Amino acid sequence: MITLLTVGIQSGILFFLGVVVVLIFFWIFWPKKGLIALFSKIKMNNQRVQLEDALKYLFDCEYNKNLCNMNSIAGNLNISDDSASQLIERLLVLGLVTMDDNTISLTDTGRSYSLRVIRVHRIWERYLADETSVAQADWHNEADRIEHFVTQEDTEKLAAQMGNPVFDPHGDPIPSIDGELPEPKGKLLSNLKKGVTGRIIHIEDEPRSIYEQLVVEGLYPGMQVYVTDVDKGKTTFIANGDECTLTPLFASQITVELLSGTVPLAPKYELLSSLAIGEKAEIAGISPNCRGQQRRRLMDLGVVAGSLVSAEMKSASGDPIGYRVMGATIGIRKTQADLIFVHKKNDTNE
Amino acid sequence: MNDTHLKERENILSEANKARWDLGIDLHDTVIESIYEDASRIARKAVKQKGEKAAYALDLRIDKIVTSRWLGFPIMFLLLALVFWLTVTGANYPSGLLASFLIDYMHPILKGVAASIHMPWWLDGVLIDGAYLAMAWVIAVMLPPMAIFFPLFTLLEDLGYLPRVAFNMDSLFRKAGAHGKQALTMSMGFGCNAAGVIAARVIDSPRERLIAIITNNFSLCNGRWPTQILIASIFIGGLVPAQLASVVSAGAVVGIAVLGIFFSLVVSWGLSKSVLRGEASAFSLELPPYRPPRIWQTLYTSLIDRTIIVLWRAVIFAVPAGIVIWLVANVHIGELSLAEYFIQWSNPFAFVFGLNGVILLAYIIAIPANEIVIPTILMLTVLITGANGVGAGTGVIFELNSVGDTANILHAGGWTLLTGLNLMLFSLLHNPCSTTIYTIFKETRSVKWTVVSTFLPIVLGFMVCFFTTQIWYLFFV
Repeated sequence: MITLLTVGIQSGILFFLGVVVVLIFFWIFWPKKGLIALFSKIKMNNQRVQLEDALKYLFDCEYNKNLCNMNSIAGNLNISDDSASQLIERLLVLGLVTMDDNTISLTDTGRSYSLRVIRVHRIWERYLADETSVAQADWHNEADRIEHFVTQEDTEKLAAQMGNPVFDPHGDPIPSIDGELPEPKGKLLSNLKKGVTGRIIHIEDEPRSIYEQLVVEGLYPGMQVYVTDVDKGKTTFIANGDECTLTPLFASQITVELLSGTVPLAPKYELLSSLAIGEKAEIAGISPNCRGQQRRRLMDLGVVAGSLVSAEMKSASGDPIGYRVMGATIGIRKTQADLIFVHKKNDTNE
Repeated sequence: MNDTHLKERENILSEANKARWDLGIDLHDTVIESIYEDASRIARKAVKQKGEKAAYALDLRIDKIVTSRWLGFPIMFLLLALVFWLTVTGANYPSGLLASFLIDYMHPILKGVAASIHMPWWLDGVLIDGAYLAMAWVIAVMLPPMAIFFPLFTLLEDLGYLPRVAFNMDSLFRKAGAHGKQALTMSMGFGCNAAGVIAARVIDSPRERLIAIITNNFSLCNGRWPTQILIASIFIGGLVPAQLASVVSAGAVVGIAVLGIFFSLVVSWGLSKSVLRGEASAFSLELPPYRPPRIWQTLYTSLIDRTIIVLWRAVIFAVPAGIVIWLVANVHIGELSLAEYFIQWSNPFAFVFGLNGVILLAYIIAIPANEIVIPTILMLTVLITGANGVGAGTGVIFELNSVGDTANILHAGGWTLLTGLNLMLFSLLHNPCSTTIYTIFKETRSVKWTVVSTFLPIVLGFMVCFFTTQIWYLFFV
């Protein structure tokens, strides 16, 4: 009886210990908030990282013809004014920037250094967008983390593998190896007048909270927009058939390239997922939100503008649906079918 | 090539790169579209089509049945159950035949030959009782089920039915962050995990493929079914009246298999949300037309590609493991053999998890194949209890024909219902066999993922056994 009792007590303690061990395990490995994630965040704040981030920001100001001073650097890097002045001191000593009447600007060495960092950053963003499943809103932060730790050679190898991309997924041009970059094009959406047609060429990815909202709205580079109304600063426009209204703060994050002449308004597309079993349609295109491997795969299977598609059968559980394209039947999930645009066809010509 | 030429080339390249900035972001799409457009224009001119519609209409009629809401799943379960039933019943007889030839007949003959040439006892033990016996065992229990299961499975695949299974099951696996084709690799895993891992090649999306490979071990493989059935009938069947025993123990085994499927889905979900979150993912599922299976080709490919490769790998690992099994039971330091040292040393640790040192040691040294775990456990139990007249000698793995005799040995080794239950759980949740581990490495080419797939199930297994045991003690003691 006594032995049984001790076993009971011991196992109670053991049980408790077991729970504690499991909790500690999760505490260490939990993504983003765990101990390991915390350590990697601390590692981020070292001097070189700050220096490179400052250079990137300075170049950004120069490219967009804005002026830059100590306060704006402190604000952008999210550091105190004290640290910012120390940082600028270091930049001056290294000969990467010059200071003129509180305005800070890059030297030639500084510019080529920052272009190198930007090239690495944008190539990695391209990679994250096309070759991984990292969430869209995380591309920028993830590339921000990676850019300080990878070597130039690795990045060039990666670029070669991807066929030397020239744009990042936000529509920004990637500087060439020699540090060349085209002049900025286009106008901010917030500055457009009523009745103007254009194409989105860039969506600013900082600050993240605004970018996330724009992603949720379904806006992406390459989209055609037609401004229908500008009222009290708010811009209303039609993008791929859907109406959308943005406040000036949001609209100023989007750069649009104006389309000259009479451009036919892009019609409202229907989605492949809206096809009922037995219906036929012609494919109009794949949304740019479907990228990389997934996009290549669909195109390989014949999902390209102009080819005919028909919905043939539902899976026993309702999703995916089997579509017939180019003489083959392929199963496509609803989430993907939502990214494929079609024009429905009447059955008369068949 | 001289300098001016080089320079000229550089200039052209950099001009071209600058031009790409002006061309915009969807250049790639435009190129592909125009290729398709050209191809279809040429095809319209040159190709005449007739008859294809009729053949497709039949396909569609079959598809409407096998993917229908009410019949889709029952047809699938029936077909898969039929395949497993054919495998289990069909393998019994050839397995017995192979065992009686390789073990009951050849083993004594080899021993006789060894004795007649006056081979030293230790060499005879290492080579014949160790290496040969382990190899013979693996062949006898692995070959027949595989030789039946793989061709049947390949036949279904060739017929075009399996892609429809993936099509039907996809929504379940999508919710777990996996690919519908994982239903196929999972089913294949019920035959053999190594083959299931190889089968994951059909999943072309990197993330989903890794998930399928890592979680394949949760499919209770052919080598573990007999262990489950034996332990269930001794410890769980024994709880109920005799006439219910077989039903209850069968239910327990099915329960373990279902628990495996549950773990496989939960772990898939966890992996896709955590460590594999960033891996690339692309879904596509072709539904090829039905066609009469090519019987001979199917037989050939399934026997060569699957059965022989897997068996060969298992044999290669079984030989050294057989030697180790014999040695740990026969090499003594002072009074005790290595096995006894390990068992005594690990017993306190193992008891916390409701297992015992014998089980731990058996799972370590019988890593080449789950099939030899029970024979190893029996040999080790006899070794430490010192039972007389059972088994064929120290370090010689064996199995008994009667469930009752096996139960007696295990009870003598101090096994309780809790030990039996934990062994069933641990048999489901432990590292894959060495053949599977090697196959995972060959398929992923990554030490990292091989280590993850090896240790993740062990950690889970220890966790599940630990909490089962502790809760048991809290409520039943």
